[in-house]
Amino acid sequence: MSPDLFFLLASILFSMGLVGIISRKNLFVIYMSIELMLSSINLILATLSRVLGDGGPSVIALLLVGVIAAEAALFLAIIVHLYRESKTLDADRYNDLSEVS
Amino acid sequence: MLVDNLELILFSILASFMLGGTTTMLLAKQTLYSAFGFLVAMLALAGLFGLLDNRFLGVAQVMVSVGAIVVLSMLSILTINAKADALPKEPFKYLWVFLSMIIVSPFTFLLYKMLITLPHHFAKGENVSAKVMGSVLFKEWVLPFELISILLLTAMLGAILIAKKKTKGEHS
Repeated sequence: MSPDLFFLLASILFSMGLVGIISRKNLFVIYMSIELMLSSINLILATLSRVLGDGGPSVIALLLVGVIAAEAALFLAIIVHLYRESKTLDADRYNDLSEVS
Repeated sequence: MLVDNLELILFSILASFMLGGTTTMLLAKQTLYSAFGFLVAMLALAGLFGLLDNRFLGVAQVMVSVGAIVVLSMLSILTINAKADALPKEPFKYLWVFLSMIIVSPFTFLLYKMLITLPHHFAKGENVSAKVMGSVLFKEWVLPFELISILLLTAMLGAILIAKKKTKGEHS
């Protein structure tokens, strides 16, 4: 069992998260794609920890779990707020800042 | 040899669950099905952490990612209860996903090539147990740990403030 397989899986997961952010318009799917990218970084760090035989990367991964939790709380609150304001989950409708007036 | 094969089989099962969950998340029409796909992917990720002999991280993943984040997002999806006209119209969804996969694939290859410059084998010796992680966390990573706690507190306050309903007579 070599670490390359884990690295390949982590790169594919990161890219799938990127694809979700680029191609989808649903706010929830964008949120879950961001979570997926962060989690794939976690997988890279855990593999690195096993490769180096060192606890450092695992600790960074553990701290990253805390960052993911904070991001989830804020992002979900923002989605709930946006939905209450304009009753849509379409990311393209929130373009107030792009209008020149 | 047998252990190696067993590890490979377990890895294949977990990786297929992970990729299947992610694909469901990307392509599902209903938002709740996307969340279910995400749930499967996060559980498989916890299994992969276990396969890497990093049990503490696996348990933390199950508790935080699955137990808190996925459940919270499912709760939000159900609370919002968006009808079909509130969801975005995406008539060319598959085409867009396919095109962005083509755009992103060189980046994937680059990331993979960068990562495999690391050693090609796992280190021998004891695994990273909760004891080792705890001692590293509280000897070398104390300041980031405290910063994360402040970040979590701030995020909690911010989430409450943002999602709060405006009461009467209050102007933002």
